[in-house]
Amino acid sequence: MALLEVKQVTKAFGGLRANDDITFSLETGELVGLIGPNGAGKTTLFNCISGLHPITSGEIIFSQEDITELKAHEIARRGLARTFQVYVASGDLTVEENVMVGCFMHTRSRSESKTRANRILQFMKLQELSEYLVSELPAAAQKRVTMATALGSEPKLLLLDEVAAGLNPSEIEEIMTSIKSVHIDMGVTVILIEHVMELVMKISDRVIVLDYGKKIADGNPAQVAKDPKVIKAYLGERYVKEYAEKLA
Amino acid sequence: METIRNALDFSDFPRIDLIGAGLVLIFLLIFPLLPLSAFAMATMIQFLMFSIYGMGWNTIGGYGGQVDLGKAQYVGIGAYTTSVMLIRWDIPFWVSMPIGVCFAVGWSFIIGYPLFRLKGHYFAIATIATSLVLKDLFEAWNFVGAARGLEISPIKYRPPDFLRLIFKEDIYYYYVLLGLFIIGLFYINWFRKSRLGFQLRCIKDNENVAESLGINVRWAKVKTYAIATAFVSVVGSFHACYIKNIEPEDTMSLSISILIALMAMLGGAGSLWGPIIGAGILIPLKSYLKEWLGAKAGLVGIDLIIYAIIIMLVSAYEPRGIWGIVEKVRRRKRR
Repeated sequence: MALLEVKQVTKAFGGLRANDDITFSLETGELVGLIGPNGAGKTTLFNCISGLHPITSGEIIFSQEDITELKAHEIARRGLARTFQVYVASGDLTVEENVMVGCFMHTRSRSESKTRANRILQFMKLQELSEYLVSELPAAAQKRVTMATALGSEPKLLLLDEVAAGLNPSEIEEIMTSIKSVHIDMGVTVILIEHVMELVMKISDRVIVLDYGKKIADGNPAQVAKDPKVIKAYLGERYVKEYAEKLA
Repeated sequence: METIRNALDFSDFPRIDLIGAGLVLIFLLIFPLLPLSAFAMATMIQFLMFSIYGMGWNTIGGYGGQVDLGKAQYVGIGAYTTSVMLIRWDIPFWVSMPIGVCFAVGWSFIIGYPLFRLKGHYFAIATIATSLVLKDLFEAWNFVGAARGLEISPIKYRPPDFLRLIFKEDIYYYYVLLGLFIIGLFYINWFRKSRLGFQLRCIKDNENVAESLGINVRWAKVKTYAIATAFVSVVGSFHACYIKNIEPEDTMSLSISILIALMAMLGGAGSLWGPIIGAGILIPLKSYLKEWLGAKAGLVGIDLIIYAIIIMLVSAYEPRGIWGIVEKVRRRKRR
């Protein structure tokens, strides 16, 4: 059964259609990549799904419930969590406290939230950093903290916005392992925006491509990598030569 | 049970903090027994009052990062409720104080809900405006004595009157206030570790992140604003019984609002000890400036100039105030 259904969603900012008639659905247990060139409307789509932007037209169904009109915090409480591309921590909260904020969604008790947070920190291999302020950490660890915080709310669906951006190859490897284990061990359905193609193509079950606000492709990674429209809009010939054969 | 345990649990502070806090507490407990002038006693009562104001402000302004410059209106609501009830219907302090809190909190919901559509500076300016409007209304409202204010005449009662909080000697007021101070401190210690406390700190960091973690940002702010209001209103009621002569100008003026915010901002917004440190520095300074420089040297208004300088210095160099500097040094040492 579909966990998330996005039906003909359009988001217009004045005359600009950042998302134009986008339709797709997501099954429980899938790991889907969302790719496209800069300005294609990927983050806008995340903002629409998570309720930060009211959409112009269309419908969004999550767990058989129409969430189109709901506010962001109401959607989050139904089990849809997300991370942000640029997370600016002013430096007030430690890593553990950050994750606890997520855990407080389901409990009022501090000790319970703390126990849960520690379980998640262990799972994300962050327990040695738990006393640090988020602002003191290197980028890679910050990204893992944002994931851990989102996981604190025990989501059914997790939207990851460029968690690998700005990381070096070994860090990308690490975060990929984390995403996989979140997906498999915790059983969370994941949809991720990513520019690091190795990562997306390797771990996604399915890839959705956006360009100028429109969906131009939707299919398994190997198919999508060969799609001429996708190559023209985003991947480029060189990428296809280098990588596509490996995938096929 | 867990709530009480959390309120009494200070174990996340380093030992040196706790020793310092313990020494200050002992000093506060024995202070009235020391041979000191009435001026020192009055200053100390002011210190405790502004510490509690600051603690209240610190919930929304410090932990929540919503700079509120209109807290004086709630001082006024508390003070007027207690005065009017005592003078007109002889209702004692311990009854009128909670009623005052109800009025203040009710009013805070009415103006808080629309105000929290605004952010940052706009919010701060709007709080100033509401407070000034309320002050003007009280200045024109005959039922509460208009601009002349109200006077509780102590002759009618037989001090020490614990129910009505009418005393001759300041020492009684001091200990009542110290009790409120300690309760307030425990409450804030619970608050900062509670779910609402965590949610607010997240809101201060990034409101979109907070929303996406299931936090109803506006409601969390309104709730906390009401908590801050309750703190201020309680001390406002106390103020009425202590000063016995209240008028809109000295309970609801802008300078009171600014002073309340300044306690926490200077001492350290968003920390437990901040408002107390701030009040410990500013209140003696204020008394001194008023008494000596203002009256004797004829430099009226010098205190306002100094507050302005402090605000500028704090916001330019260390937004987290004195306690922010302490924590920075500690973090540097640990690494």
